[in-house]
Order: sequence, then C-alpha cells, then structure tokens
Amino acid sequence: MRYNEKELRALSRQPAELAAELGMRGPKKGSVLKRRLLKLVANFLFYFRTDEAETAPCVLPQPVGALLLERCVVSQEEACSFSLSFVEDMDRKYVFQCDSERQCLEWTGALRRASYEVMRRSLVFYRDEILKMTGKDPLEQLGISEEARFQLSAIKA
Amino acid sequence: MKLNERSVAHYALSDAPADLTGFLRTWAGAASSPGPSGAGRRCWFVLKGNLLFSFESPEGRAPLSLVVLEGCTVELAEAPEPEEFAFAIRFAAPGVRPHLLAADGPAAQEAWVKALSRASFSYMRLVVRELESQLRDARLSLALQRRASWRTPSRRKPPALDQRPVGLDNGHGSSRDCSPTGLMEWDLQGTPSLGLGRGQSPVSPETSCFSTLHDWYGQEIVALRQGWLQRAQARQQLQEHHRP
Repeated sequence: MRYNEKELRALSRQPAELAAELGMRGPKKGSVLKRRLLKLVANFLFYFRTDEAETAPCVLPQPVGALLLERCVVSQEEACSFSLSFVEDMDRKYVFQCDSERQCLEWTGALRRASYEVMRRSLVFYRDEILKMTGKDPLEQLGISEEARFQLSAIKA
Repeated sequence: MKLNERSVAHYALSDAPADLTGFLRTWAGAASSPGPSGAGRRCWFVLKGNLLFSFESPEGRAPLSLVVLEGCTVELAEAPEPEEFAFAIRFAAPGVRPHLLAADGPAAQEAWVKALSRASFSYMRLVVRELESQLRDARLSLALQRRASWRTPSRRKPPALDQRPVGLDNGHGSSRDCSPTGLMEWDLQGTPSLGLGRGQSPVSPETSCFSTLHDWYGQEIVALRQGWLQRAQARQQLQEHHRP
C-alpha cells in the first residue's frame, strides 16, 4: 500500500490532543520497553524518539511510527500501564507504561475517543436523541442533513 | 516511518461504512514520469472517514494507496486530458505534490470534492461537539419543564431516557467500560457532585459509553435542580423577612 510519508509527518506536527513521554513496547517477540514521545493527533498515535532533540537540535523531529486508531482495543494492563491491540490480530499488543494511574486513565480515555467510527456513532446517537426530544433534526438546521457520513442507515446494527 | 499497515488495510476492507465510492482516474504512483501526463490510471476509490483508499477494482482485496485527509484542501483542477472532470487534494506541507484525480462527470466530481473537503477528523469532532451541547440544552429545558410541573420537589431520578448501551471500544464490541456503577452510586448517594474525575472533560465525556453519558447528563440536571431549589428557598426566606 502506497502512502506519502511527508503527509503523515506533517500530520504528526499538528497540535496534539494529548502528548507525553511514556514507556512503549512493540508487539514483536523480544521487544523491550523504550522511552518514547507519544502524540495523539486526530485518529493517529505518533511515536518519536526522546533523545533526538539533543542529538540533532536543528532537525525537525521525525516520528518513528504511526498507529491508526480504528478498530483497536485499549485495555488497562496494570495500574500504570495499558495496551493497544487491533481486531485483526489481538495477540499483537503495544504496551505503554505511564508515570501514574491518573495519566494512564487520561490516555486510555483519550485513545478510546480517538476514532472516526466512535465519533460517527456518537453523532448518530446525539442526532437521534435530539430528534426524539425536540422533533427537529439538528443537522437540518446546520444544512448538512443529507451528508452520507451522518446518515443513520450508514451504521449497521 | 512505520505504520500499522495491516490494521489500516483491515479497516479499509471492514464493514465500517464508506462515505463515497467510485471509479476515478489517478495520475499518482507513476514513478517513471515526473508529472501528471497521459490518460492516467482508472482505480476504484473508497472514502472511509478521513481515509481515502484506492483499489484495483471494487473486488480488490488489498488497497493500492492511502491518503489521510487531514490538513489538506480539495479544489477543482485541470487534467492532462481536457474531457476529464478533475480535482486535486493539496497539502500545505512543503515538497508534497498534490494528488490529481478525475471523475467521469460533473455530478461525480462535485460529490467527490464535497465529501473529501469535509472528511477531516476535526470537522467530525466539531459537529459532534455542537450536537453534544444541543442535546445538553434540550435535556435541561426538558428537566426544567418537568420541574415546573412537580408540585412538591422530591429527589427523583431524572427522566429515564431511552438508553442503548452499545459498548464500543473503537468500533469493537466490548462492554468492559459500560458498567452502570456510576448510575448506582448516584442513586445511593442522592447528592451527586459534578465530579468528572474519571478523566472526562465536560465538553466531550466518554462518548464510547452511552450509559456513562446518560449518567453524566443526569448529574448535571440534578445539580442544576438543587441550585434552583436553593435559590427558591432563599427567595422565600427573603420574602418572609420583608413581610411586615
């Protein structure tokens, strides 16, 4: 699958919903926990090396990688750690180590919301609720009721 | 730079609804030629959320390309072939060439430009937040209407609204975080705080769990009602005080 890395790198430099240095371990056997700068932008989680600012201060930091957060499962592991896995292979887990329980909750909450599909389902739910309560379609007021991405029928039960 | 490509490809083929599909001509990926020229290549395109995938055909099982529609603009463009209805996806990032695409007709061209220009995550989030606040307003006014019809104020549950615990974990079914404990605590304590201590912001509460949402709005209504009661009591005391 072809994609332009420059486009993804540009996205990684956009303002983050959440950013912090956490411990991160990849899904491969024998992977070890490494300190990474994590940035949550839209429905992507970018991870950067943490020592880059010292070794090459003039160069814009390049992400080591990006994870698309659709169809993923966020699970609390221990008090201060959580994991991320994807439905096509639940055994492959990315594990993250936080500094506190509070930080762990903050990240798991934000990651679960960082999905286009979750947003879409919320929108359809809100639209339906408002319609039931007021008798008016809120999207009609906004002039976007016909858009395919907001249709109730788009969601399979 | 790494990308969880297998998950991306899995999502491309998943039952997640497509926002638009169709054949488009593309001039990308022709590594041998420096710019768009000739007839290009006809591919099957699938728009899912903020991701645009291309496939060999509608039956294709592996996406050929991916464009993430964030931080880009979509505008009409001129194709190398004059009869094409072309448009371009442009990124502000330096050194990134625009993606030139062309539809078969003006209607398809318009549909694609419209859908692509509204595909970003931030646009979706904006609409969700707008509806969130509209729903909050609607629930408050409903609660106030009911308040007005209660003769003796008592601690009652907020109106039981239709509730569908969907239990989603980024599109994957799981009920782990949808336990109704929040609701039970509320019933037992009677006086809920507006505490959003579970990592929830008032702007966007845990949207993946509707029972939490329900609980959250319920708490707000009760808090508002208590404020109203206190003010009403104070007013009454004030009136009694001024009575000759």
